This record gives sequence, structure tokens and C-alpha cells, in this order.
Amino acid sequence: MSKPKGVYDNAATGDTSFRRTWDREEYAQKAAERQSREAKERKERYEAKLAGKKYIPKSEVDANAEETRFDDSRMIEARRGRIRLDENLNKVQIVPLGTTGSRRGKGPGYYCEACDLNFTNSLEYVEHLNSKQHLNATGQTDVVERATLEMVRERLIWLKQRKHEQDKAEEFDLAKRLAERKTIEEQERLEKKERKRIKKEETRQKKVLTATETSEQTSGVDVDAAMMARMMGFGGFTSTKTR
Amino acid sequence: MSKTDLPDAKAMLDSRGLYDGPTIHSMNPLLLMEKIIRERIIDSMYWKEQAWGLNAATLLDRAVELQFIGGQYANQKPTPFICLILKMLQLNPEREILLEYVQDEDFKYLRVLAAFYIRLAWPAAEIYKTLEPLMADYRKIRLRTQSGYKLTFVDEFIDELLTKERVCDIALPRMPTRAQLEDMDELEPREPLVSDVDSDEEGEEGEMMEE
Repeated sequence: MSKPKGVYDNAATGDTSFRRTWDREEYAQKAAERQSREAKERKERYEAKLAGKKYIPKSEVDANAEETRFDDSRMIEARRGRIRLDENLNKVQIVPLGTTGSRRGKGPGYYCEACDLNFTNSLEYVEHLNSKQHLNATGQTDVVERATLEMVRERLIWLKQRKHEQDKAEEFDLAKRLAERKTIEEQERLEKKERKRIKKEETRQKKVLTATETSEQTSGVDVDAAMMARMMGFGGFTSTKTR
Repeated sequence: MSKTDLPDAKAMLDSRGLYDGPTIHSMNPLLLMEKIIRERIIDSMYWKEQAWGLNAATLLDRAVELQFIGGQYANQKPTPFICLILKMLQLNPEREILLEYVQDEDFKYLRVLAAFYIRLAWPAAEIYKTLEPLMADYRKIRLRTQSGYKLTFVDEFIDELLTKERVCDIALPRMPTRAQLEDMDELEPREPLVSDVDSDEEGEEGEMMEE
């Protein structure tokens, strides 16, 4: 009798396979990057000291942001559509294993990939999408371009055009849909007719078949049955309905 | 005026220190709305999702999608209409832009929205001058209240704006009546929109002649 297998006896995985594995190359690269960054900072610090200035460390985000602070492409735009809050409903997502922060990838809820944060309700999640933290993480600034009169006019004209087109499209659609409906109904009618015809044919064939059978029976193949039938007061075991 | 707007009203409602942004009636525009409804708006999903990051141009997208006006509905939820009013108070659009909104013929809810903002923000004489011509607009609009939908009309709503103290659950800034403004010579007597009074005028002239 074999011993029941425990969780740790699984030969396929090995008992330490649950441990996290590390991509050594990736971390080597990261270390190299950090070293070069630190070297750069040291150099800047040294240069600042030579020039007699105070060195103010900049975070990488700020360093990038400063050049493009008022670039239009980095400004916030209003949402084009609705946020699809029920997009991942009833789904299980695997989120990267992070450090054990209070809100990091833990439990059910909305998950923000850019910031690696979890939110338990939709309002909190949307609030996060609007937050400075999220905007920084996705490389946006927290300003909106102020609209000029020309922009307003343009937008209004565009909206009007869209409205008229929609109205037109709806009318067109109605006629088209009526025509479509008509063809579909016609097709359905033909199919129904065909089905009816086939059914009729089948029943007729069946009747012919049974008729021949009964005629065979009565023609003396089964004499006993005929006798019995006559004794019991009827002509045969088939229907006597006239055909 | 700055070239950029803020995506939400957080900075404008920051109550530390003195407020130094743009003002309406020499106060913070957002304070024209009572605290309780303002906070309900800012907590609402529409404000956070749909009204976030709008400017005077993209506000149009939301305004043309409006289906009803009103203050609060159901369980004291703010309507999209009132959310957009707060948004406009935050954006503080220029005069020309507002006139563009109001004079547009295609979108009635946009017109009503802009009219409401004008009533909140502009000086009294200009309110009368701008809004009275809109009384010729008889289109239907839906008004959503705590107890359900009601039918009203653009001209009826404009009249309410000019005569009532409280519209859409918001206390409007106090405004002198038309008669008072006429007495102060800030307004000309109103030209009636319906012009079937020719015969009456003749009659009056006749009477004056007799006198």
C-alpha cells in the first residue's frame, strides 16, 4: 500500500518551487543603471561645488517633466468615454508580487497597474485615477489647457455636424432596416412552406407504407391474427379510417 | 488669465489662507453654491469621472449629452446639470464663450446651462439684457426633482431665473427687480417679444392726443 502523497511530496514541482526565483540578468542591469546614475549625480555634485552653487537633487520624474512642463501632449484631456468599472467583473487577475504594503495587490477590488495599488470601491479608484500620484506615474501634468473662443466655436460646429449626421443616419437606418426585415420575413415564410411540404410528404409516405403492410397482413400472411381479430369483432389491427 | 485650467476644484476650495484666484461678486466663485450641495457634487461619481479635466470646449461634449436639468434627485444625488454648473464656476469662462453657448440654437440644454451660469455670475443689468431674448424659446425641457420628472419649458425656466430666489436647489445671488433697474436708468423698458400691440399703441396715442 502506497503512502498518501502530501503537498510537499510532489516530485514534478520539487518542494522548494513555491519560492520566488530571480532574474539575475535583470538585476545586474538594474545595478549597472543605478551605478551610472549615482556616478552622474556625483559628477553634478562635484561640478556644482566647483561653481560654488548648492546642488539640488532632482528626481527623475521632475527632470523629465521640467523640459516638457507645458507641452500640450502632456496636459490632461477630458475623458473621451466612460470608465468601464465593470470591465473585470468576476475575473481573477494575477498581479505582480510586490512588497507587503497596505494596499499593494491585495484582495479583491480595482487594481491600478501604473501605481501597483488596489482599491476596494469604484469611487476610490476613480479618485485615484484623478490623483497627482497617478498622473505622475503615467507621465501627465495636472493642468488642463484653457479653451479659447476659437476652440469653443470649433467644438460646437463639430458637435452640430455630428448631431445632424446622427439624425440622418437614423433615418437612413430605418428604411434600410425595414427592407432587411422584409427580406428576412420572406425567407422565413419560404422556409416554413418548405418544411410543411417535407412533413406532408413524409406523412404520406408513411401512410402508403402502413397501407401496404396491412394489405400484406390481410392477404393471409398472419392468418392467426386475422382470425383473432375477426373473433374479437374488428377487421384488423390497423386504422379503419378511409384514406 | 492663465493659459491652463485645473482638472478639479480641489485647489480652489483649499481654505488655508486668503483666496487669490478669480472672483465673481468679489468672492470665490465656488462659494456661490451652498456648502452641502457643493460637497455632494464633489463626492459624486459624475464629478469625478465625467466632469474631471474639462475645459470650456470639452464641457460642450457633456452639455449636449444632458437629458434633464435640476438640482438634486432621488436620494439627494446631484444632477449632471448642477455638476456642470459647478464646473463652469470653477472654469470661469470668458464672456464671449458664454454668449456663444447661449446663442446656440441646436442644443437646448446647453442654452439653459449657460443661462443658469449667467444668472449666477453676471451683474444684474447684463443678466436681463442677455436672458430676456431667450424667452422666445418655447422648447420643452425635463426638470428632475426629488419626486420625479416634470415638464417645463426654456422660457418658463428663464422666467424663474429672473424672478425666483431659489432655482434647482441653489440660492441665486440677490438681484434687483427689473422695475428697480429701470428706475436707476440701468435698463431700457422691455421690448415685448409678442408684437400684436400695434392697435393698442395707436389707441394710446389717440388718447394722448385727446388729452
